[in-house]
Amino acid sequence: MRREGGMSAALFLMCLVLYISNPDFLGGSNSVNTLRQISMLGIFAIGIGFVIITGGIDLSIGSIIGLTGVLIAKISSPGLGGHSLWVGIPVALAVALTIGAVQGLLITRLKLQPFIVTLGGMLAIRGVSQTISEGGTLSLSGSPLLEFANGGYLKVGANALIPYPLVVFFGVIAVATYVLHFTVYGRYVYAIGGNRDAAEYSGINVARVEASTYLVSAGTAGVAGVCYASYIGQMSQQVGIAYELYAIAAAVLGGCSLRGGEGTVLGMVIGAGVMRVIDNGINMFQYHYVDVDKVPRIWRLDQNWTFIIIGGVILVAVILDQSVHLVQQKRRIKAAGALAEAKLAAPEASHVTTTGAAPPPNP
Amino acid sequence: MSGITKRFPGVIALRGVSLTLNKGEVLALMGENGAGKSTLMKILGGAQPQDEGTIQMDGKPVVIGGVREAKRLGIALIHQELMLAPNLDITANIFLGTEPVGIMAPIPRAAMHEKARALLARVGLERAPTTAVSELTAGQMQMVEIAKALSMNARIIIMDEPTSSLTAGESEHLFEIIRKLRAEGIGIVYISHRMEEVMTLSDRITVLRDGGYVGDVLRAEATHDKIVQMMVGRDLSGAYFPERTGTRGGEPVLEVSNLIVPGTGAGVTFNALKGEILGFAGLVGAGRTELMQTIFGVTPALGGTMLLDGKPFAPRTTRDAIERGVLLAPEDRKRHGLVLPMNIAENTSLPNVESYARFGWLDRVMEKRVAEAEMKRMRTKAFGITQKVVNLSGGNQQKVVLGKWLAMNPRVLILDEPTRGIDVGAKAEIYRHMAQLAAEGITVVMVSSDMEEILGMSDRVVVMHEKRLRGILPREGLTQQKIATLMTGGKGEVAA
Repeated sequence: MRREGGMSAALFLMCLVLYISNPDFLGGSNSVNTLRQISMLGIFAIGIGFVIITGGIDLSIGSIIGLTGVLIAKISSPGLGGHSLWVGIPVALAVALTIGAVQGLLITRLKLQPFIVTLGGMLAIRGVSQTISEGGTLSLSGSPLLEFANGGYLKVGANALIPYPLVVFFGVIAVATYVLHFTVYGRYVYAIGGNRDAAEYSGINVARVEASTYLVSAGTAGVAGVCYASYIGQMSQQVGIAYELYAIAAAVLGGCSLRGGEGTVLGMVIGAGVMRVIDNGINMFQYHYVDVDKVPRIWRLDQNWTFIIIGGVILVAVILDQSVHLVQQKRRIKAAGALAEAKLAAPEASHVTTTGAAPPPNP
Repeated sequence: MSGITKRFPGVIALRGVSLTLNKGEVLALMGENGAGKSTLMKILGGAQPQDEGTIQMDGKPVVIGGVREAKRLGIALIHQELMLAPNLDITANIFLGTEPVGIMAPIPRAAMHEKARALLARVGLERAPTTAVSELTAGQMQMVEIAKALSMNARIIIMDEPTSSLTAGESEHLFEIIRKLRAEGIGIVYISHRMEEVMTLSDRITVLRDGGYVGDVLRAEATHDKIVQMMVGRDLSGAYFPERTGTRGGEPVLEVSNLIVPGTGAGVTFNALKGEILGFAGLVGAGRTELMQTIFGVTPALGGTMLLDGKPFAPRTTRDAIERGVLLAPEDRKRHGLVLPMNIAENTSLPNVESYARFGWLDRVMEKRVAEAEMKRMRTKAFGITQKVVNLSGGNQQKVVLGKWLAMNPRVLILDEPTRGIDVGAKAEIYRHMAQLAAEGITVVMVSSDMEEILGMSDRVVVMHEKRLRGILPREGLTQQKIATLMTGGKGEVAA
């Protein structure tokens, strides 16, 4: 929980600084928008978290998000397919799940590397989106779906304080927390990431559990895809590019290890929060000052720095985390040396103490 | 089990092997590496199917189709590399794969911790069931493995080299538990290379050789020489440790004074002489490996000085040590000694691959020539220098490690547990090479937990205990008693 605690504190601090620099940060429209962005990222960050905890990786989810939206637009947009959303959304989600199942089976049955399989998936699915949209844009205008992302509960003026994507996000958090942290299945996911051979020799059907995580990942990407389609409204093959990297970053910031076996749902939620607050903060941050001519001015961050700042934050976070880890390790080594010395200094005591316990000091 | 045959592509791993295990018996399964012990036990544990032969339990034939079925029959296999998930707690590991509820049901944590506590009490492990396995020592992990076996009411427990990573105290505890389980009527198959253990622990010994069954001996009728003879198929006694010729111990080559190794308190002082074999005895965890890693530059010293050929020697990295001719063949060959997926030639050239390059272009012909020469010198058994080392036996892998260092003309060659996990025949060969190297004037430093090896090979013996150097004993008048006293913390004579 070291990473979760540190990241919560960092997130809180960031929000505080942003609020002080620009009270609009917590103003109605901005806070609701940020919550919506966190929710949409968080939904599929949790999904890829399942894969990452088993020690795998899924690069295809950004493309799945894009394809979901393109399919819904193609089938259900009043100007295109004209079918009901009750057809378009289930078909899109079914396609997403099928992609997850195929990738999961390729990885577990043919023993292909997850990175390669999902890299291929990422490119191929992106191409399918491009083909369906014929390289252009499919508009969802006129579709009732557009009200989903922007609508919500507790309407105050034009803003719904609880946008629907946030409700979906809470649902995903609840289910994922139960599955990952309370069920036998979740235990297997961690066991596979911790020691695949041990899981295998414990009689766990490793292939099936592992394949199912790719289904979870693709499924949540599909759900997020519906939200993004509703939010963006104009679907092209550009939607969702690099989103998988945002999700991986959110999971890692929240304490997942790409070696597998580590990570919590809470951490992924916080990680998604950090990613989106930084994104939003680059717009919102302002610094009021008075220049040499006594003219009040406002200094703002340059939009072009966005990737520099996000990349920097990720690197600083993992560097800090590793430094703390190394310092602790060094301290433990020193303590072990001191313990050996203490044992030698009091040889009589060392015979009665059991392993790990320090001998009592001589009176 | 009777008439068990198993074929792998190109080899027959088992040829009609039979094995009987009685209720409440400790059966030692012995044989050189590659004799087929592990394959036989994998078949019994359900990890691999046999090609021919039958297995009966309580007189009834059974088919063991997988790990799960083996477990249901009450057969538990404890692997040499412990099969635990370090990120989960003790309880989770004990019941992994045998949780009492369905896959999407909530885990009844409290009830499972309670059960785990009872199992831990049975194996005498005093740790809370909520402790993460990553915090346990190797011995404690072994106890968790046994608790796991007991949790599914195992009637047969197979242990593959269970003491290979345990301290003497932990091994002793393991033996107590094994005797207790035997009294409860559980049958135990015990695979080990350590003759002493087998002699004290087992009721009966089954010996395999080259995938075939050699024979059964009751412990009471077994002798060290008899078993070894059965294992290797020839009489080895006498020729085991080579005759040493030539002058031993010239001028000091490596002078270590008051060296402070990270993680320890006191400084270490000793000299290693030209052409001698300097043995380092001690219990596992006595600090020998850490000391060698410091001399080799893996973990730089915190204080003290070293002289190599009279000149200051303070390696900050392994590269520094290698350049001065101080080389280490590590304890864990597979992790630190070799790049397993690479072939013999590539492994041989790895430490100084630059010297094989002309303007960055790797001279494969030269690499091939050197690797072939070393392979010939070490008599490595492989089909050629392009064989991947992952496919070699333990003994041949060790020969590749030695060959790789010998290709660099070492001044000081440090061998950490040079014969661990190596069968008897290959051991004798490694010993012969060590004697040969010393005769050529190379200083050989040998860390070993095998008392016979220390007594048989060393010119002088440095004994360590609890991260401290406790004494340096000359070869004259060396006895097991003297070494054992010092390495368990007793007082003894201290010679320079």
